Formats: sequence, C-alpha cells, structure tokens
Amino acid sequence: MTVPLLVVDDSSFARKQVIRALPKGWDVEVSQASNGEQALELIKAGKGDVVLLDLTMPVMDGFAVLEEIKARDLPAVVIVISGDIQPEAEARVMKLGALAFIKKPLDSEQLHQVLSDFGILSV
Amino acid sequence: MSTDVLDEELRDCFQELSNVAVGRAADLLARLLNNFVIMPIPVVNLLERAELSMALSAIADASSVSAVCQGFTGSKIAGEALLIFNDASFQDMAELTQFKGEITEQIELELLMDIANILIGACLKGLAEQIDVSFSQGQPYLLGQHINIEELLNRNGSTWQRLLTIELPYKLEGREVNCDLLLLFTEDSLAILRNKMSYLLE
Repeated sequence: MTVPLLVVDDSSFARKQVIRALPKGWDVEVSQASNGEQALELIKAGKGDVVLLDLTMPVMDGFAVLEEIKARDLPAVVIVISGDIQPEAEARVMKLGALAFIKKPLDSEQLHQVLSDFGILSV
Repeated sequence: MSTDVLDEELRDCFQELSNVAVGRAADLLARLLNNFVIMPIPVVNLLERAELSMALSAIADASSVSAVCQGFTGSKIAGEALLIFNDASFQDMAELTQFKGEITEQIELELLMDIANILIGACLKGLAEQIDVSFSQGQPYLLGQHINIEELLNRNGSTWQRLLTIELPYKLEGREVNCDLLLLFTEDSLAILRNKMSYLLE
C-alpha cells in the first residue's frame, strides 16, 4: 500500500536531500511542508502517516508540531531529522512521542535503518 | 566590479549548511553552560556594508553591546566572524558559568572570549567540513565593550563594500542572554563558495 509520507523542513534544499535519501522502491506518496503549521494541515488531511520532521523552523517549529500531534492524538509516526544535536533536544522530542532522532547532515543508511527497525518499510 | 548575485537556491543552501554548523556550536555552548540553547534560524544575505547595522535584527534594540572579531581564510575564501553580545546578557552569563563576585569589565571580556572561541570555532568548522574546505583562524580581538551597534561596526576596519552575511542569533532558554554571531564573507568569496557547493545544488 502506498504510504503517505510528509517531509517537513524550512529549507527546500534539505527537503530534497531527505527525499533523495529515501529507500529506492519504497511505495510512498511524498508531500512537503516548510513549517509546522503547513505540516499539521497536511497530517490532518491524511498526507502524513509517516513524517520526517525538522526542528528549527519559522512560524511553528518541530517541537510544537510534536506537541500538537500528541495533544490531538493525530495518526502520524514521526522521525525527527535535525541539526539541533543537543542531547536535551533529542530527549525532548522522544518524550513528545517521536519514534527516532536522526542528526543532520542526513546519512541515508541511518534513515533506512531506522525505517526498517521500526517496521515502517513493510507497512 | 563584481555583480555576483545570491539567488534563492544558493541562499537556501547556505541557510541549511549554516543550520547544521550552528547546531554543533549550540551543542557545545549548551554543555558549557548547562542550559538549553534555542537554535537560531540562520539569516543569509548579500549586503552593502552600510546596510549591515539594519540587518542585525536580533540585537538591534540593544543600547549597549560588546563584541569580538576574528578573521578566517582558506581555499581562497576570506571572511570575519563577529560575536556581538547585548551587554544585558553578562549577569546571566556569569551566573551560568558559576562565577561569583563582581562582574568587572575584565570578567566580561573573559566571558566574551570564551564564548567566542567555542561558537566561532565550531561554526566555521561545521561549515567548512560540509563544503570540503578548511579555514585557518586569526587571533580573536576585542572590537569594543559597552558601545552602540553603529560605533561597533565602524570600528570593524575592513573595507569590503558588499558582503555575504550569515546572521545567527543565539538565545538561551529561560535566560536574558542575547548574542549574535555574524559570519561575513568577502564578495569575492561568493563565487568560490558557489563552486564548492555546486555538487550539493546540481
């Protein structure tokens, strides 16, 4: 089944990097958002069963997106991909319900590993 | 005269590379001060020198600032890093570093230099690694203490007319600490940076 995948980052360059790093042959429908507000709208519209989420963004950051997903119990599995590598940032996003935290610059093998470890590829 | 431009794609790429670099610097700062750092969103511009003061949004309302400056160069890229502190930050900075006693100008200078060493070094290294260059850094020097922004920028003696600027406004969570790390590149560096980044842009 095609997975609705949402890539959220304020940088189009970063979104491109993430999309390029996706496993070949993975059946996804990719949507993109450049801030948290757009991301939440797309998740509510069913475009983000799996979300690859940046943290540092204008308008609404990734922490706030995770809070909203948790508060409204939205059906989204979130993997954070961020340049904010403070251990406290990782602890916070995990507490807010993120599945995993991946540091930038993005290593595609690490992304594949995380997707595979959590059984997301086989959905 | 060069008429190089900063198109949206290149600006976006600079912003993302800077984002990764400031993340490393923020991590080091957070460890040093044991306080969460609110990650800055990098602001990338190509500016005339005269426009620089207006561009410093994060500390624009500070009446009194202190700053250090450090030059860097490598792979035909040249620039300067400026770390500018709102003077109102020093009380909290001293507390976070467990300093007890009177905060003299000398203590402020030491704090400024310590933070500058960490932030400037980590940022430049993070940026350089991603585009496969290496920068050597000059000695950091004090631009001024307790002066206003205009005066500060006038003291920065470089004569470059147009600059590629990356502004990184750091904040500490729950604290009154405002500092702005400013990376300035010469206009001539832009073409070389563009070249170094071309494999990323394609």
